[in-house]
Amino acid sequence: MSVVSVRGLRKSYGSLTAVDDVSFEVQRGEVFALLGPNGAGKTSTIEILEGFRGRDGGEVRVLGIDPGVRSTQRWLRSQLGVVLQELAVEPFLSVRQVLTRNAGYYPAPRPVEEVIELIGLAEKADAKVKTLSGGQQRRLDVGLGIVGAPALLFLDEPTTGLDPAGRRMSWELLQRLAGEGTTVILTTHYMDEAEALAQRVAIIARGRIVADGAPDTIGGRDRGAATIRFRLPSDAGAEELPEECFEADAQVRRDDGGAVEIQTDEEVRVLHALTGWAQERGVALAGLTVRRNTLEDVYLRLTGGDPERERAGAEAELVRSR
Amino acid sequence: MSAPAPAAAPRLAVRGELRLVARQLRYEQLSFWLNPVGAIFTVVFSVVFLVMLGASAGSSRVSYLGNVELVQYYVPAFVSYGVMAACFTTLCISLVVRRETGLLKRLRLSPLPTWGLLAAIVLSTAVIACIQVVLLLAVGRLGFGVHLPHDGLAFVLALLVGVASFTALGVAMSTLVPNQEAAGPVTSTVFFILLFLSGLWFPIKSGSTLAQISTWFPIRHFLKAVFAAFNAQGESPLSWHDLLIVAAWGTAGAVVALRRFQWAPRRG
Repeated sequence: MSVVSVRGLRKSYGSLTAVDDVSFEVQRGEVFALLGPNGAGKTSTIEILEGFRGRDGGEVRVLGIDPGVRSTQRWLRSQLGVVLQELAVEPFLSVRQVLTRNAGYYPAPRPVEEVIELIGLAEKADAKVKTLSGGQQRRLDVGLGIVGAPALLFLDEPTTGLDPAGRRMSWELLQRLAGEGTTVILTTHYMDEAEALAQRVAIIARGRIVADGAPDTIGGRDRGAATIRFRLPSDAGAEELPEECFEADAQVRRDDGGAVEIQTDEEVRVLHALTGWAQERGVALAGLTVRRNTLEDVYLRLTGGDPERERAGAEAELVRSR
Repeated sequence: MSAPAPAAAPRLAVRGELRLVARQLRYEQLSFWLNPVGAIFTVVFSVVFLVMLGASAGSSRVSYLGNVELVQYYVPAFVSYGVMAACFTTLCISLVVRRETGLLKRLRLSPLPTWGLLAAIVLSTAVIACIQVVLLLAVGRLGFGVHLPHDGLAFVLALLVGVASFTALGVAMSTLVPNQEAAGPVTSTVFFILLFLSGLWFPIKSGSTLAQISTWFPIRHFLKAVFAAFNAQGESPLSWHDLLIVAAWGTAGAVVALRRFQWAPRRG
């Protein structure tokens, strides 16, 4: 059964359309990522699901109810866990104090000691929040998100601003939570984060979902092209390459430095011909690599990393926060 | 899925809600007192000001205020300062910081009801103001032998109106401050200029230009209302006129606060 169901969701700020006909479903126990550049509509979508922001159109159900209905919002909030982009923790309280306080807001919270253990802050339990490192604060933040034992956890860019070690630790924590069967919706603009954490990714750009699927098949990633790269010595011409390299929809490009790039859907056949040719001719294929399209390639293609759009996105961000 | 949204059982709920507010109030107090800068700036400053100015006042008197001792002027002056510092400056700065760091949004997204959170914040502010007042009265009485308010009821009423109005103005002010960095400087500057204009540091003569300007702002009127409760000499200890003006400012503040209040960071 779906924990979240969104159909034709729309939200505008003045003349700016932030969310434009977005639809998706999230199943129980699933980790779902909304991946997209800044201002793509990720946070607006999440805020609508949380009941924090109203919508202009579309059907939304979260845990079976409409988050826009005021009379049931408080019940809904008792079932949700939220981790915001900001590190929102009181600096002068201790880790245990903050968790104990928030646990008290919920009808059936997790035991505070268990949360402290889970987020790996047992040694810092009585330390003031402001003495924690960025990564530790973020883990406390996640702890605050789960202390109410939520049926659904929202993570809005959970590792933005963390160093690589801090990100790694946060990922481990989130993977552990996912392993416990918590349903998670996260937003991110890091491809590797979506890939590491989510079972399903929706790529969102300019308020629309442009692709939706498992991270390793999204946007035809498992089929699509592979790229073969190598260098030819100056006395070997690219036109001398075996004909397999030029077949079907393979594309060959060569620059002045002798670097050759072949895009093909049939990398095994092309490679076979290529290496045979190289051995026969005694030509070195320096720096030979074969690379399958990454999630990043798919993402950049689908979101069209165009600076004008980025700027429009930044403006949308600005308007939204007013 | 999980249990359906229940219709709350009303009678039991009220007690539960009050307990929730009391609990939040306790954490509001904890957050305040554990922040040394905030606690010192608010509570210690007013006492230090009173001691410094009180000590330098010696036995001088204010001829145009019924010839009271200057120090007898300073006690009500710093009682009103204490109330305003807690309700206006400290509340405003903490609201801006909490808004911009996402703390307000996070609380808004917790099952703690909005009214409960706001009630706890307002009550917490009032508690800080009351602690200030008691401390200042004690220092005034024991340190300078100043007499306590002549009219307790008028004093309490003035404090109530003051706490409510300056709390509303503090919330209103927080909606006008764009970011965390500006919160301290902007709020303190506004506050100290108004304090000067209102003759809090040195009593100003009525009829002077400064007195004219100061009548536009609520601080002078609050100060006069508190002063009247202390030093009823022939006049009424309850300065209705002044309290009404303070309350009018408070109402205006409440309107701005309700219209502009924001939970999410503005990042501006």
